[in-house]
Amino acid sequence: MAPIRRKNRVVQQQPDHRANRTILMRTLVLLVVFGVAAFVPLFVKLYEIQITKHDEYLGLAIDQQTRDSEVTANRGTIYDSSGTPLAMSYTVHNIQLSPHGVQELQKNYTEAVENAEEKGKKGPDYPEPTDQFIAEGLAAILEGVEVEDVLKRLEKVNSQYEIIKWRVEQEEEQAVREFVSQNHLSGGIFVMPTTKRYYPKGSLAAQVIGWVNYNNDGKGAYGMEAVYEEELAGETGRVVTAKNGRGTEMLYRFEDYYDGSDGDSLYLTLNSNIQYYCERVLEKGVEMFEVQDGAFAIAMDPNTGAILAWASSPTYDLNEPRSIVDPVLAEYLETVQNDPAAGEEAYLKALEEAQYRQWRNKAVNETYEPGSTFKSIVLAAALEEGVVHENDHFYCSGIAQVEGWNGDPIQCSKREGHGDQDLALAVANSCNPAFISIGQRLGAEKFYNYLENFGFLGPTGIDLQGESQINPVSAGIIWSRDRFSNVDLAVASFGQRFKVTPIQLITAAAAVVNGGHLMQPYIVSDIIDADGNVVRHTEPTEVRQVVSEQTSERCRTILEGVVDGGTGKNARVAGFRIGGKTGSSETGVKDHTIVSFVGFAPADNPQVIILLAYDNPKPVTSGSNYTAGGWYISGGNMAAKMAGELLGDILEELGVEKNYTAQASVLVPNGVGQSLAEAAGRIEGAGFTVRTVGSGETVTGQIPVAGAAIPGGSQVVLYLGTDVPTDLVEVPNVAGKGPTAAQQALENVGLYMRPTGVAEYNSSTVALSQSISAGAAVPRGTVVEVDFIDNTGGGAGWGF
Amino acid sequence: MAKKLKRDLTMEEQLARGPVDLPFLILVVLLTGIGVVMVFSASYATAYYDSRVAENDPAYYFIRQLAFAGVGMGAMWVVSRFNYQNWRWASVFVLGVSFILLVLVLVPGIGQTRNQATRWIKLPLLPQFQPSEVAKLGVILYFSSRLSKRNQEKPYRLNPRSVWSGPMAFLEKIGFLELVPYVVILGAVVLLMMKEPHMSGTLLILAGAAAVLFAAGIHLGWFAAGAGALGLLIVFMMSGYQSTRIQVWRDPWAYPKDGGYQIIQSLYAIGSGGLLGLGLGKSRQKFLYLPEPENDFIFAIVCEELGLVGACIVLALFALLIVRGYWIALHARDRFGALVVVGITTLLAVQVFLNISVVTNFLPTTGISLPFFSYGGTALMIQLAEMGIVLAVSRQIPAAKQG
Repeated sequence: MAPIRRKNRVVQQQPDHRANRTILMRTLVLLVVFGVAAFVPLFVKLYEIQITKHDEYLGLAIDQQTRDSEVTANRGTIYDSSGTPLAMSYTVHNIQLSPHGVQELQKNYTEAVENAEEKGKKGPDYPEPTDQFIAEGLAAILEGVEVEDVLKRLEKVNSQYEIIKWRVEQEEEQAVREFVSQNHLSGGIFVMPTTKRYYPKGSLAAQVIGWVNYNNDGKGAYGMEAVYEEELAGETGRVVTAKNGRGTEMLYRFEDYYDGSDGDSLYLTLNSNIQYYCERVLEKGVEMFEVQDGAFAIAMDPNTGAILAWASSPTYDLNEPRSIVDPVLAEYLETVQNDPAAGEEAYLKALEEAQYRQWRNKAVNETYEPGSTFKSIVLAAALEEGVVHENDHFYCSGIAQVEGWNGDPIQCSKREGHGDQDLALAVANSCNPAFISIGQRLGAEKFYNYLENFGFLGPTGIDLQGESQINPVSAGIIWSRDRFSNVDLAVASFGQRFKVTPIQLITAAAAVVNGGHLMQPYIVSDIIDADGNVVRHTEPTEVRQVVSEQTSERCRTILEGVVDGGTGKNARVAGFRIGGKTGSSETGVKDHTIVSFVGFAPADNPQVIILLAYDNPKPVTSGSNYTAGGWYISGGNMAAKMAGELLGDILEELGVEKNYTAQASVLVPNGVGQSLAEAAGRIEGAGFTVRTVGSGETVTGQIPVAGAAIPGGSQVVLYLGTDVPTDLVEVPNVAGKGPTAAQQALENVGLYMRPTGVAEYNSSTVALSQSISAGAAVPRGTVVEVDFIDNTGGGAGWGF
Repeated sequence: MAKKLKRDLTMEEQLARGPVDLPFLILVVLLTGIGVVMVFSASYATAYYDSRVAENDPAYYFIRQLAFAGVGMGAMWVVSRFNYQNWRWASVFVLGVSFILLVLVLVPGIGQTRNQATRWIKLPLLPQFQPSEVAKLGVILYFSSRLSKRNQEKPYRLNPRSVWSGPMAFLEKIGFLELVPYVVILGAVVLLMMKEPHMSGTLLILAGAAAVLFAAGIHLGWFAAGAGALGLLIVFMMSGYQSTRIQVWRDPWAYPKDGGYQIIQSLYAIGSGGLLGLGLGKSRQKFLYLPEPENDFIFAIVCEELGLVGACIVLALFALLIVRGYWIALHARDRFGALVVVGITTLLAVQVFLNISVVTNFLPTTGISLPFFSYGGTALMIQLAEMGIVLAVSRQIPAAKQG
């Protein structure tokens, strides 16, 4: 039976097709379910976590993986054109308290004491960190921190972050560190580094540089600090140290974390010395002329548009931007403070207003009527269009009738009229009727074209905060083209009844004298990153050529005449060729005049152009044209005078050489040892007069000695047989004297006078100052420089 | 002993010497290789900071995993050379040993308790291992062996005159009687494992057993019934500790300390990876943030370092391996081979699915390791041995007819 059984088994081993098909089908089902379908939700889930929510999870992960503190980027430095820092940052520290940490310290201390007691050992060898102890310790070190303040902060037991004092200097910082380490307080008091802005030159160029407002995340407020905030600030970095799950240092640093980058530095076109001269001249003028509403001075390189200096008054100390140092503002505040009627609120409001006034940059934030300074632009336009010529003559009767104007006739500053004048003289006299006539010749259409081409209808594009981007026509300060009437043309011809910004005016005036190129003014010449690479370099940008080279040259000649004997004669500086135009602007308010002067030098090849203005010198009485100090209120008497002094300083700073002409000194020839006739002949031949002392034939001595330089025409004293006196003489006071009287006073004691200032003398020319002060003892024959000015009333007035 | 010549071999012996399935082998080797590298990367920081077990040696886990992978590969080779037909009878012993081990692990002193669960056993001369790993194999082998002969079993018949013959005939008809031994075995295994307790292991054994039963042709109604019973059990267990697990799953951030921490860290790791990942070895979450990154949550580190792209490549390799496994089952020489391969492949697939579901918070947390990746020497070895069985089956696939 065995074979059969075996055979049976074999038969039974035959595949069971039905069972096999079931396995096949069901395995296929499993294949689809587990091999394919199951992976779909996994993929979807992974996609959701890794792509859709990637940023969210990455952020959360980084939050826990990094120590959460920031690295403040170093703010860039601001330099002047010679590389002197004007604004820089340095590291200071915030003193930070962690009330939560202090709680821990106190708990640990108690535990340590209990532990020690249990084991019978000595407790901690440092004082218990009570709130009182910490508060007293900190208050003792930190100036201005009260014990109560610290105690109050310590009450916030859940806080980790209470800053007790911001930005402490090194001395206090070291003291706090010592206090912390001596008393084991490192978990409760932290000394965190931060930066502080420092302005080495204090108030210099305050409105241009601006300051950093710590109340606003240390962002720049005003000036360059605000305009270039992004570049200067750099990028705040996150701490690069990563931590592991236990909070200790990671094995390695992550490669893709954000480093902070230090801010870029700015190199300005400003020249600190010129800036200083500008500010000095403003300060001096404000005091001298009793100026009530501030002043400004801009110095620019007319060929490039680079701003060399930009001063604004009232000014302030950048290191203490909120305190008032300007005398005018301080006085005003004091009156408010002492006024019993005004309360605390009024004072705070006045303080706020005063701060605002000192922070704002007058020469770009405000507009004014340019007045007669604008005549330089009208002159250029008229010459360019060929409607006037140097040989043209204008007659001024003192008044001008304008077609379309039905009111009183427009008056010239000189009521009795300038009479007949050629073009140069009309400009030198700043004659309104002449300019009305020039304006009429140009015509409204062409005049308006030049208004536009000289850039008065839009911003100059200077990189300074506060230049209005609003079109002046829509702002209502300049007529629109289609409403520019004949009467408007007449007043516009001498710069009244429309408003421009000072920067617009100086930019246009620069175009008049630099060959006709309207340049875009700028202050930042280079931006340098923290590694010293030049990020941006400003090339001078010409906006357009407004007038031709020839026209510009003719304008320079005519405008030089303004200083050389015209209304601007007070701006004259011996040895330099200066051109310019005075202006006295109306403001529409009684007794409120803005006196200004736009000047350039050297007149044949301008290296610098300045615009100087004083806003509202105080008349002695209402309606008076004089200040209490006796100054006639006009651009010619005030602004031109100060501008001359300023230009002299600037030209010397720029290295422009003085070039004396007729008034120059002459070297005294030697007469000693010669016969009287021979010596007198030589000395008189050199242009001097001779006086003799003693009697004899041979000259034994002379004053001054041979080789000395004294003004030509002076008197040389020859001694015949008598000894030359060696005693010292006292310098007399010549201030206020006329030129002849001053010279006489000096010669009486054996001194020589070299006059400076105005070149042409008249009855109102007076000495303003002398180089050697009165009362000083000097050797005979010393040369004293005396500065003369023209304080005439006739050369100023409406329209100047 | 001289090697037998081919002509001297029986037909069966000849068949058993066929070539192994190369695609399957390549996929296994590839996954094991990637897995060992990832263990190195993921465990680096843990080992570095661990002064007790790893003695601050960053390569501690790597070296061990590498050694086990080598031994496992050897085991796989040996098992693949072994004629799998022998597992038909040997399965009884494997199952028997499994039971002994499952009982032994509950004996204090032999079983090792970690985290309030006694899942590990330490026997002399053997490295530590989990009896549940052996039990998985035992159950699959035994079930396959018994179910492959399913059509030969005589219908159970009582004496027709017995009172019970009627109900028994009904039970036989609906296939209940046939299931009794399987239910008894599974019940015993589940009971023992819940004693440890070992919920995830139980789940896997149930899944493997169910797959074998399903493929063998058990009526679908029983699976519905089984699933229903399991569902009821789960709902019942939800009342206690397990219910917080569900709440943690729904919003891990609400429980950052108890239970949610690991899943939060896992999500941070996966999310940080993005599309392309932080780069191999550059995980940040492994620095003591993600607990045991070399173990159950190793896939999170894979995602963080290799990004979605890397994770998908790994997933694709698993998918291919699983599909190829089923392909081998479909082409297997006999039902036993097919069922064994279905069991092992499904076990692997469920393990992969559950692990990645847990890591991505698709399902609530359970401790299921990722095959070939998670650190664990014996588990990897047994896993590779299982792959050896699949390869052994693949060797006996009849060659396709030429032309």
